[in-house]
This record gives sequence, structure tokens and C-alpha cells, in this order.
Amino acid sequence: MKNHIEELRNAQGMRQDELAKALGVSRQTISSLENGRYNPSITLAYKIAKLFSLTIEEVFIFEED
Amino acid sequence: MYYNNKRLALSIFWVILGVVLVVLCVTEVLDSNIYSGMGGALIGVGILQIIRNLKYRKDPEYREKINTEAGDERNSFIRNKSWAWTGYIVIIVQAVGVVIAVVLGQHAIQMVLSGCVCLELVVYWIAYLVLSRKY
Repeated sequence: MKNHIEELRNAQGMRQDELAKALGVSRQTISSLENGRYNPSITLAYKIAKLFSLTIEEVFIFEED
Repeated sequence: MYYNNKRLALSIFWVILGVVLVVLCVTEVLDSNIYSGMGGALIGVGILQIIRNLKYRKDPEYREKINTEAGDERNSFIRNKSWAWTGYIVIIVQAVGVVIAVVLGQHAIQMVLSGCVCLELVVYWIAYLVLSRKY
């Protein structure tokens, strides 16, 4: 699933490891999320959206197969 | 908390069990090198786990790293996926082994491998039933 995590993180001047620490996940997870290789659980998606003060739909781009 | 008292107690138990096995081998109560090897391995693993446990308690950075790795959902996903792949691969390899054993006329190997495949499929169905009731 595509998302805006990298743009949002860069806009806030955060590094991957800083975002990972804020979310309680590994840096590799952030990297995989940004590359669209890994789809987060609803809990993690919610945490990410909340961290950027956005909704899940604003962070993640849902594409039907 | 990943390295808790329960894990520490288990590590100490492995070391004690390892020492018992080695002592039994040295005193020739057990007369196989396999047991002394197992004992040595248990002592090694137990000591390593105890060292990690103590480092976890003393070093906040290490504690945070371990907690993040243990609680990271991608790691958990990869672990589950790896177990699933392992299951598929083992069953396929065993099934191929059954066919080869039949062709080569190895009746005993064929029976053992067939039994393993059946057992694994039964375990899979039990796990499926249990999980489908849970979720």
C-alpha cells in the first residue's frame, strides 16, 4: 500500500530512527513502510496517523486490486 | 519486559540440566557422548541467556533495543511467515521423499515419511480449528 509517510516525516525534519522510536517499532519497519513493502496493522496505521495529526486515509493510499 | 524473572529462571534451569548431564557422563552413569554434548550446549545457551538477561536489566539502551525488536509488528509478521514457509517446505519435501522412497522400494522410509506428512496435516487442521474459533 502506498503512503505519504516519507513526505510527512521529511516535512517534520525527522529521521527514520526518530520516527521508529516515537512509534515503538524498528527503523527497518519504517523503511519497509515507506517503500510500500510492508502494510501496517490497523493499530500501527492509527498510531502513525495520530503522530502526524492526520486521518489514516490522509496518510495511506488505498488501491483496490 | 522481555527478559523477565521467568526467562532468567529458565536459563538457570538449562545450565543446571547441562551440568547434571555432563556430570553423569563424566561419572559414567550415562555412556554416550551425545549426552555430554547436549549438556555442554545447554550450559553454553543458558550462560549466554543469563548474560543477556543481566545486560537487559543494567543497560537501558540494550533494554529498549530488545523491547523494540520483540514488540515490532513487522518482526512478528516475518516470524509467522517464516514458520508458515517452513511448514509448506517440510511437507512438500517429505511428500517428494515418499514418492522417491516408493520408486526406490524403501518401504520403511516411505512409511515414516507418510506418517510424518499425515501427522503434520492433522496438526495443521487442529491448529486451524482452534484459531478459527479464537478469531
